[in-house]
Amino acid sequence: MAIRVNPKLIDELATYGAADVQNCYHCGNCSAVCAHSDDTFVFPRKPMRLLQMGLEKRIEASLDPWLCYYCGQCSTQCPRGAEPGETMMSLRRWLTSRYDFTGISRLFYVSWKAEVGALVLVAVLTCVGFLTYGFLNGNIAHYDGPTAFLPSSVVHVFDWVMAVALSLLLLINAGRMWWFTTVKNPRIRPRLASYLKALYLLPLQFLTQKEYARCESRRPWAIHLSLMLSYVTMLILIMFFLKQIQEGPAIAWPFHAFGYVATAGLLFGVIHAMRGRIARKEPHLKHSHESDWIFLVMLLVVTLTGVVQHVLHRSGLELAANIAYVVHLSLVVPMLMLEVPFGKWSHLAYRPLAAFLAAIHRDALVSQRTSTANGEPGSTSRALAAA
Amino acid sequence: MERQRIGVFVCSCGTNIAHHVDVDAVCESVQGMPDVAIASSYRYMCSNPGQEMIARGIQEHQLTRVVIAACSPRMHEKTFRGACKRGGLNPYLCEMANIREQCSWVHSDRLAATEKAKALTSAAIRRVRHHEPLESLTAEMCPNTLVIGGGIAGLTAALELADAAHDVFLVEKTERLGGNLARVDLTAPHLDSARDLLTERITRVRDNPRIKLLLNSELRNLVGYVGNFSATVRTNGASGAHEEKTVDVGNVIVATGYQEFDAGRVTHYGHGKLPNVVTSFEFERMLRTGRIETRDGRLPQYVAIIHCVGSRNKEFHAYCSRVCCMTALKYSHELKSANPSCYVSDIYVDMHAFGKGCEDFYKTTSEVKTLFLMFDKNERPVIRKAAPSDDCDMLIEVNETLSGERIEIPADMVILMVGMEARSDSGEVARLVNISQDRDGWFMESHPKLDPVATTTDGIYIVGTCAAPKDIPDSVAQARAAAARILGKIAKGKIEIDGVFAEVQDERCSGCRMCNELCPYSAIEFNLDTRRSHVIPAACKACGACVAACPSGAIKGRHFTVEQLHAQIEGVLL
Amino acid sequence: MSFEPKIVGFLCNWCSYTGADLAGTSRIQYPPNLRVVRVMCSARIEPTFVLRALAGGADGVLICGCHPGDCHYSEGNYKAMRRFPLLKRLLKDHGVDNDRVRLEWVSASEGQRFADIVTDMTERVRALGPLRIKSDLQTDLVER
Repeated sequence: MAIRVNPKLIDELATYGAADVQNCYHCGNCSAVCAHSDDTFVFPRKPMRLLQMGLEKRIEASLDPWLCYYCGQCSTQCPRGAEPGETMMSLRRWLTSRYDFTGISRLFYVSWKAEVGALVLVAVLTCVGFLTYGFLNGNIAHYDGPTAFLPSSVVHVFDWVMAVALSLLLLINAGRMWWFTTVKNPRIRPRLASYLKALYLLPLQFLTQKEYARCESRRPWAIHLSLMLSYVTMLILIMFFLKQIQEGPAIAWPFHAFGYVATAGLLFGVIHAMRGRIARKEPHLKHSHESDWIFLVMLLVVTLTGVVQHVLHRSGLELAANIAYVVHLSLVVPMLMLEVPFGKWSHLAYRPLAAFLAAIHRDALVSQRTSTANGEPGSTSRALAAA
Repeated sequence: MERQRIGVFVCSCGTNIAHHVDVDAVCESVQGMPDVAIASSYRYMCSNPGQEMIARGIQEHQLTRVVIAACSPRMHEKTFRGACKRGGLNPYLCEMANIREQCSWVHSDRLAATEKAKALTSAAIRRVRHHEPLESLTAEMCPNTLVIGGGIAGLTAALELADAAHDVFLVEKTERLGGNLARVDLTAPHLDSARDLLTERITRVRDNPRIKLLLNSELRNLVGYVGNFSATVRTNGASGAHEEKTVDVGNVIVATGYQEFDAGRVTHYGHGKLPNVVTSFEFERMLRTGRIETRDGRLPQYVAIIHCVGSRNKEFHAYCSRVCCMTALKYSHELKSANPSCYVSDIYVDMHAFGKGCEDFYKTTSEVKTLFLMFDKNERPVIRKAAPSDDCDMLIEVNETLSGERIEIPADMVILMVGMEARSDSGEVARLVNISQDRDGWFMESHPKLDPVATTTDGIYIVGTCAAPKDIPDSVAQARAAAARILGKIAKGKIEIDGVFAEVQDERCSGCRMCNELCPYSAIEFNLDTRRSHVIPAACKACGACVAACPSGAIKGRHFTVEQLHAQIEGVLL
Repeated sequence: MSFEPKIVGFLCNWCSYTGADLAGTSRIQYPPNLRVVRVMCSARIEPTFVLRALAGGADGVLICGCHPGDCHYSEGNYKAMRRFPLLKRLLKDHGVDNDRVRLEWVSASEGQRFADIVTDMTERVRALGPLRIKSDLQTDLVER
């Protein structure tokens, strides 16, 4: 069955950042230089081809973009200036919008104004919500104690409600990723055993991002890992030890020590990324989509307001600390609510999942190939095409 | 037979010959042969001292014949003939034995190789006894030139010659100048207007009094030989009447161009059946009128360009037509500039972007978002009508090589890049001017690399696309090259004719005229008064076909006479 | 000692002789049994040349010209090609095995092909043994 070429897709992808993909003439230098591309997953060349031809279903079924960690070697080597690295980045954005069933993600990637508008809206709602709660139940001059403006127990419940909701959204989208790439993919017939065998990859990839380290330069991996571990540390502190880090004014060193290190890590990572995107020297930071900036700015202001809130609180300026806290929350909530399931942050789920699914695909292809070689009846041509 | 004094010179060629052939043994073996005055060897016979040795030997030993056993005569025959001439001997009284390329280099058994070298040398000795001194002849060179074809190549050649103050007869079959280029809008890769290129040429040709322009005219007959052709040209008048006139020319430039491949021959592309499947030339017409639209007057949203129609395909033409790739890229640019929201799919086999500026042109075509889709040349895209629910009129199905996918490409208009082919009347032209054609019908050059505009018939030149598909710069370069060759010959005033040609011995000729028809160069004329045939030396190329065929043995093939060859045959068998 | 046949080769100057030279410059080895006589075109080869060679002691004759369509003189090789069957029939009537007289096309670029032909021909003629009807040929045919 022939599949329809869609020459218009390339225009759509331009809004996601793939501005130069039409220049590619398929010499294959990019795939040759890539540390991650192999016989099974040939990229960036192959996804670039699919994109040029507008074969949406094929791209949807492809894990390739998620196996790229954007070291930028391909873009440096490209003789045609087709920016394969940035194309892969754009494909990740496009795929994120595809996985998201709500359509919100697509809206944000296509229009940065919509994204900013949504952030402002959620921020205002959050602000109003917390202020209302605070004024009704507490005293804005009190940070701690029974009359605290925003008691940690309340925020704690709120956090968990939000965490469950966001996880659910993200889980649905990740499920869709699995559905598109593995279940609906006619070329892959995965075995159940493979799932169990590869399961360890999920936490391993999440925590170490081992694949990222295989890129030619390990520096971006180290920086990204520190940023990510800082974030996870913060998350754990907030989700499980909010009481300990929130109450004061004394500093709870066993908890705060982690918090300080994580804050430093976040600041370092964010500032480094921002400087890189301004300088545009490193290949992977040359091109910035609006969503990249929104993400970085949000992360920076969230971290900074967190620091301010903490300092004010420990200095005994409870009123100011409460105001800072409300501001902080009004930034954290929209950032998490919009970025985690719909934006750049969703890759925290998609990346390890892709590594996990890739192992399953590999396994399936090997067994399909052997079964073909053994003369087993079935879709020989399919397995060959996949090979 | 009179006594001869033959000098034999055997070359060692460093160790090239001496390694596998005992050079001294060869000398010794021929020393005792009748008429051999001296036999000596030397390290490098072709070197200055070697040549000096031959010249001195001729004088010191009063040699009347010289044999040089060395490399192939194709390598150094000219050199050694020169050495003989310097020694005071007619250069044709020298013969070579090829004991390098056809002996020492191909045999490793020293004994057998030496025996073979002896045989070859003694054969040369036997042959050279029968050699005769030959002199080259001269003939007048008529400074007029006949140019056949009024396309860009013919126009350029005519101008080049006329600008050097020589008369040119420019014969054009149709009623207007410009040829195929006049049907083109812009040219690749710089998007210059073809009209601009041509207008300059045509105006200058029309204004030049040296150029006799013969429109609606055809060459009907050409007789004679280089420097002295007589051409009969027929001009068709408006009322069906025609007049013939005969002109004297020294050289002929054939610039008859090409014809486009008939796209209807590739039946499954549906040209002539599907309304919006057009050939490149039909599309050029749309471009020139500025109306790129489908048959029912709509602006096409999807345009597909299919390359290699009739080219690079065993069924039609196996060769590449060279210009279609860049022309297709040009269409992309023209389409996008006419309608930026149109999508162009370029369905190609291989992108041949070999010319100057062409690779950059390919890149800029990518940049305007042309979708390049590659297919295998042994496979063919299939065009079919789309369903009413589709947003396009046609769908082209093909296996796409770069992705490995079987795809269908939407199209509202399909442009078939038809290749070039030899004109249907090229056989007639080839016969008239006595040149050969290759299996595809293109005129054949004297040497594909070293002599690309001359033919095996002296005085006949081929330029432009009548010799093979080529682009405008190449056609123009060839036209100027041919003109330069002719100007060089005109400047010399006379032409020199090699002493080796056939001659009819009158007393033996029975006048059967068999040789007249046989000669590929029409170099044998029949004299109605004497009832004998005779050879025009300037036209003869010394192939010897007539010599072998003459039933009365009346034709002597100079330098390859029966006696010389018989002697050589006997010699090699010793 | 084994029988070493003598083979006379008639090679056209433009294709086959150049092809034979190429075999040399490429150092492609072949048996030394072939002795070459150069002519400008295969059309120059008279049947008597072949008879003269066979009568003079040759065990085989090889005629080489340009491939059809590639003749330097347009179509000299076609003329040779038309003469050849008649000659072969004549020789067969005189008991000369068809394998002893061969017409081949060798272009200027086919050094390897030339060497292969010579090798093959030498082996075939060697297998046939010496040509035994020389006296007949001498008296009947050679006088022209």
